[in-house]
Amino acid sequence: MLFDIDFDVGVDRVAPVNLNPQASRAVEQYIYHEARLLDERRWPEWLDLWTEDGMYWVPHSFDQTSPYEHISLCWENKLLRELRIRRLENSRNWSQQPVTQSCRVVSNVMIDGTDPDGYLVVRSAFHSMEWRGKEPVHRVGSLIHKLQAQEDGGWKLRMKQVNLVDRDAVHGAIQVYI
Amino acid sequence: MSYSNEDLAALVREDSVHKSVYTDPEIFRLEMERIYGRAWIYVGHDSQVPNPGDYHTTSLGGQEVIMVRGSDKKVYVLYNRCPHKGAKVVAEGCGNTGKFFRCPYHAWTFKLDGQHLAAPMKNGFEGTCFDPKHPDFSMRRVARVESYRGFVFANQSAEGPDLGEFLGHVITSIDNMCDRSPVGEVEVVGGTFKVWQPSNWKVFYENLHDTMHANVTHESSYVAAREQAQDYGSMPLELHIMDGNGEPYGFWEKLDLYAFENGHGYMEGIFNPGAIETDPVSKAHFETLKDAYGEEKALGILGQNRHNTIIYGSGSPHTVFQQFRVIRPVAVDRTHVEIQLFRLKGAPDEIYKRGLMYANLINSPSSNVMPDDIEVYGRCQEGNLTRGGDWISMHRYNGTDKPIEGGMVATNGTSELPMRNQFRAWKKFMTMA
Ligand code: FES
Ligand SMILES: [Fe+2]
Repeated sequence: MLFDIDFDVGVDRVAPVNLNPQASRAVEQYIYHEARLLDERRWPEWLDLWTEDGMYWVPHSFDQTSPYEHISLCWENKLLRELRIRRLENSRNWSQQPVTQSCRVVSNVMIDGTDPDGYLVVRSAFHSMEWRGKEPVHRVGSLIHKLQAQEDGGWKLRMKQVNLVDRDAVHGAIQVYI
Repeated sequence: MSYSNEDLAALVREDSVHKSVYTDPEIFRLEMERIYGRAWIYVGHDSQVPNPGDYHTTSLGGQEVIMVRGSDKKVYVLYNRCPHKGAKVVAEGCGNTGKFFRCPYHAWTFKLDGQHLAAPMKNGFEGTCFDPKHPDFSMRRVARVESYRGFVFANQSAEGPDLGEFLGHVITSIDNMCDRSPVGEVEVVGGTFKVWQPSNWKVFYENLHDTMHANVTHESSYVAAREQAQDYGSMPLELHIMDGNGEPYGFWEKLDLYAFENGHGYMEGIFNPGAIETDPVSKAHFETLKDAYGEEKALGILGQNRHNTIIYGSGSPHTVFQQFRVIRPVAVDRTHVEIQLFRLKGAPDEIYKRGLMYANLINSPSSNVMPDDIEVYGRCQEGNLTRGGDWISMHRYNGTDKPIEGGMVATNGTSELPMRNQFRAWKKFMTMA
């Protein structure tokens, strides 16, 4: 079950790291790449970014510190990520006709450091617009990525947290990943 | 156009209904007056305002109200309006106002039950008919407030049946949700989802017992769940609750649909989240209930497997997963749905987690199920704005409903009895003298 695991979403105990400019730039590029895969609906590649136990989290409240006692706009493991994408791709997904188009700007990328488990904590800000032929939907907020270093020098997504500025608003359907 | 009672009655036939009841803003305005002005409407739960001064804002048929715990520990429901110049006294949301309300405009203050407390600079009122004791200078209370096992309902009309009589047999759904706690109490915790529906409020109520839509509307969702289960070699509860919508027509035909006076009703459960014998979480839950109530009663409580209950005008409690979807009409084509999650006091934590998961996966704006419902509600709204026809069909199994005490039961689980029943109530309220 989703709530039996002991997954550390905390980012308050972060040790500073010193990445050289080239490594920092690679991290930034990774964050941009992740955003681009979503906008281009390259779902298999996006799913491949994740670690096996990685979690996607969109908190529901401003004072929420964990997904375990409180509802979340999204709290998804691998099983649920694949499920969402299967649904998006099913030809009888009435609420995706027309499909959601999106474009996002990600900026203010800052590398905060490493958490106690050694994951790299990266923060950024984003602004996106989604479009399904009627009302444009703007989403704005900050992102926290926890990245796991790979042997080949690359990164995998251990956690992606999306903090919407209007998370307490009344929302329409949120169908694609933010 | 303005409607006479005869005009309104003519919009509802035994087996069909005129589309203007979903699209005409004037009818919406009358509904807010005649249905939401006369029915008992769920305001909120006791546990949202545990201490004196705690308040919570919500709306009853478009009327902004405050549910507040008074210094006498009683719950009051006040219109959110200052009697001086009419300013809204508290901002939307919740909090604690202390010992009194203080208007942000000229600092008139009111006791927690709405009574006028003080206005600055008394001397200026001398020689006028300003009278702090006169109700015109207090915050106005909603005419009647009653609470049942912590569920607070209000009625904007001083006349009519009391809460118990109004709810009739659906009160047993509230009982069942509470009885699932070994101490018989529930509390709202864990946050409340808020979702927009781009449609008339009635569509949502009708959909709650519309079994004919499940395996059509939700195809993408249950197919995805099944594919996923196949790949993983098992079907965990996360997928199981989506898979349920894909049951064939034969399955839905066997379910029981109950419809009661005033538009209420319920539907027999579609999935048992865990048999006591096979599921450890259900087993643990059963044990705590057995200790509290004895084996026979505990079996009875968990054996009552109701899917959506309809409390017409208020929303839909889901007893098995401890939610209450509170439905608030905002405009003729816009409805606000608030999903409260409850904890069963004293029950194993896993039961709460299960409710949390159900809320996240089924009731959240990012659900994989609900967007398709929202989409078809919106399409009903748009389709009915065309000149493509005027009447909406509720024919299915019309004439076969079997009377029971206080209502009817459908001969077939795919019957449109719930819609016919809701419109009977609609007609009653809308044409009442
Ligand atoms: S409007 Fe409230 S004190 Fe004047
Ligand atoms: Fe549905």
